[in-house]
Amino acid sequence: MRRDTALLFGPALVWTVAAVVGVAATLADEDAWSAATSRGGVVGSADCRRCHPEQHASWHESYHRTMTQSVGTGDAIILAPFSGETLRVAGFVATFSTATSGSPHVSVVRESDAQDVLDADVELTVGTHRYQQYVARIDRGGGSLERWRLPFAWHPQAQRWIHLGGAFLFPDLAEGDTQAYLRHFSRWNDNCVFCHNTEPVPGLREDGTFDTALGEVGIGCEACHGPAEAHLARQSNPLRRLLAPLSDHGDPAITHPGRLEPDRHSEVCGRCHGQRIGKDLAKVLAHGDGFIPGTPLEEVSRPILAEGRLASDPPTARPFAPRFWPDGTPRLSAYEYQGLLLSPCYDEGQGMSCGSCHTMHGAEPSMQLRAGADTDAACVGSCHAVASMDGHGGHDTVGCQDCHMPRVTYGLLQGLISHRITSPDPGALTGRDDMPDACTQCHVDQTRAWASAAMGSLGLQGTAAEPYPESGGSRVERDLVGGDPVQRALAAHALARPEAVGSQARRMQALVDALEDDYPAVRWFGHRGLLVLARDEATRALLLRYDFMADAADRLEAVDELRATLGHSVVSSQPELWQRLLGQRDDVAIAIGE
Amino acid sequence: MSPSTHLRASLWSLAGFLAMGMWLEAMLGLRVSSVVDDALRREFLRLGHAHGGLLALVNVGLGWALERLGTPSGWAARVRVAAWSGALIVGLGFVGGGVWHGPTDPGPLVLLVPAGALMLVASLVAVAILRCPSGGSPDQASNNPS
Repeated sequence: MRRDTALLFGPALVWTVAAVVGVAATLADEDAWSAATSRGGVVGSADCRRCHPEQHASWHESYHRTMTQSVGTGDAIILAPFSGETLRVAGFVATFSTATSGSPHVSVVRESDAQDVLDADVELTVGTHRYQQYVARIDRGGGSLERWRLPFAWHPQAQRWIHLGGAFLFPDLAEGDTQAYLRHFSRWNDNCVFCHNTEPVPGLREDGTFDTALGEVGIGCEACHGPAEAHLARQSNPLRRLLAPLSDHGDPAITHPGRLEPDRHSEVCGRCHGQRIGKDLAKVLAHGDGFIPGTPLEEVSRPILAEGRLASDPPTARPFAPRFWPDGTPRLSAYEYQGLLLSPCYDEGQGMSCGSCHTMHGAEPSMQLRAGADTDAACVGSCHAVASMDGHGGHDTVGCQDCHMPRVTYGLLQGLISHRITSPDPGALTGRDDMPDACTQCHVDQTRAWASAAMGSLGLQGTAAEPYPESGGSRVERDLVGGDPVQRALAAHALARPEAVGSQARRMQALVDALEDDYPAVRWFGHRGLLVLARDEATRALLLRYDFMADAADRLEAVDELRATLGHSVVSSQPELWQRLLGQRDDVAIAIGE
Repeated sequence: MSPSTHLRASLWSLAGFLAMGMWLEAMLGLRVSSVVDDALRREFLRLGHAHGGLLALVNVGLGWALERLGTPSGWAARVRVAAWSGALIVGLGFVGGGVWHGPTDPGPLVLLVPAGALMLVASLVAVAILRCPSGGSPDQASNNPS
């Protein structure tokens, strides 16, 4: 070879030969391409940022990231002021302050005998979206790593503290009853730890103590993608990354939920957004659930359904039934996966998935919806032909979700949409007082018989209503007084929604009925709803004096004044009806796993 | 490669990569998803457009330098081939790496970029080092075979 040719082309030739050899060696390396026998451990979301900066940025904006935070870290978002606020509930005074060490601090004293009930520094926060709960390290027999979720939450929208008895569906606490007051004092190590962190290992030992470990505090990348240690080791070879387009399925050492079949995809979300029963509870409490995203969730657990029970329960027991409507539709949050499973759109795992509407790496962090997923485009044009939807429903300003995903789910002090996609059929529920229907959740001034008749006039299919005595109050007004706690809370929520049909005065009169409820959560909905609807200053001033967690005497005084101003509701103005509905109330206490 | 062929080829390269810039603008203006929504592809297409265009200009300058410095004609012919093909390979390597790529990194065609860059760098270094034989004028030296 001539010297000039060698000098001009030689270095490039050497590089080319080296590159070809490197590519060939990488292609031949089975370890670089095969399904990983072990995912290894969790590396943490910060390590993912180096290669996936955009995905890391969208995750960083999400409420998943801040689901659990250590208060000691500089960037922790602590919503509550902890500047000496107090919360007086049922004869106990809780004080929220900041210790000299800088830690948020909570102390509780029983007023009757000045007994200290609780005195703890906050170590962790849980949640930053709807409300924020707090966790302290307290050894109550579970060892030095035992932590407890305190029975309080800070509500950022209302800018106030709430005792969790007022957020969960429990009746008023008995005055001075410490056990009842601490009812929602929940051990973090074997409860909250699971769905609010990444790859948690409760570490329950035989002696009852805990050695809890987290892959990452909060819900990090690996909660959905699986442990990434093996993936990182494999991808540290730049040639493996350059040759990635040769692999149809990416790196089998990591899970990409978007590439999974609809059922597997939904299971990744359902691990947390669908309460489950572990197959081997002892193993779960010792070592974690062992679920690897992309593998069948049923290998480690089964979703809780209305007819579900624990192995220790008698065969006829249905301990979870109160969490579902009589037709099996979930009525509490954290059962969204079950709602999807029961939807015809799910099509036994071949149709719709969580990812059909939600994306974890989109621009909208609140509900993490895909662009347009909150419009009819989520249904029409994607799965349902536009032509077949022409004129469907007969409502001009009502979207698909309003009728097919009604707000019949309770959680986080909100009325939430059902994730079981159904077709409204109020006529099928005629004569029943045990569950709401989509029509009367908006037409809050109407009865179910009216809704059933309206279905026919709109050309919609539905069961013909049987004659049923519904005189005296609309469906929602009756539910507000005579329903169970979930019905009452959702009825109050429905009455206050801007989409609700009916006179504002009548809706406000009904909402005053909710202020008398024995369940603080129902009163919360009534009070918040009235604040939304009230326009005149005098009424707003009365409402601002009302505290949904105050003593009964104070509350009832405010209710009397509001009734004097707004007038009695259709139901409360009929004493016989009022008493009859009160008599059919089902005052169950409903545990909410949030 | 003759000086005129080198110059014409360099101008063709320049025209091609400049036209690619217009195509990229059109893709962005028309919001073509395969370009707009793929940041990695967008970045490497831009790199290909920019490198291809600028290195074509380098070739135009190199052609002038070969004449001005009186680089021996045998060397000069090969330098022209190495420099022009090196510039083209760099540009196309970036483009190819962006068109066909994995989730986090460009595709394997980007491995062409260092090869092209080495050819171009070697060409520039050779022109900078080589002197016309016998200390003659550049014009005389350019007519002497090596």
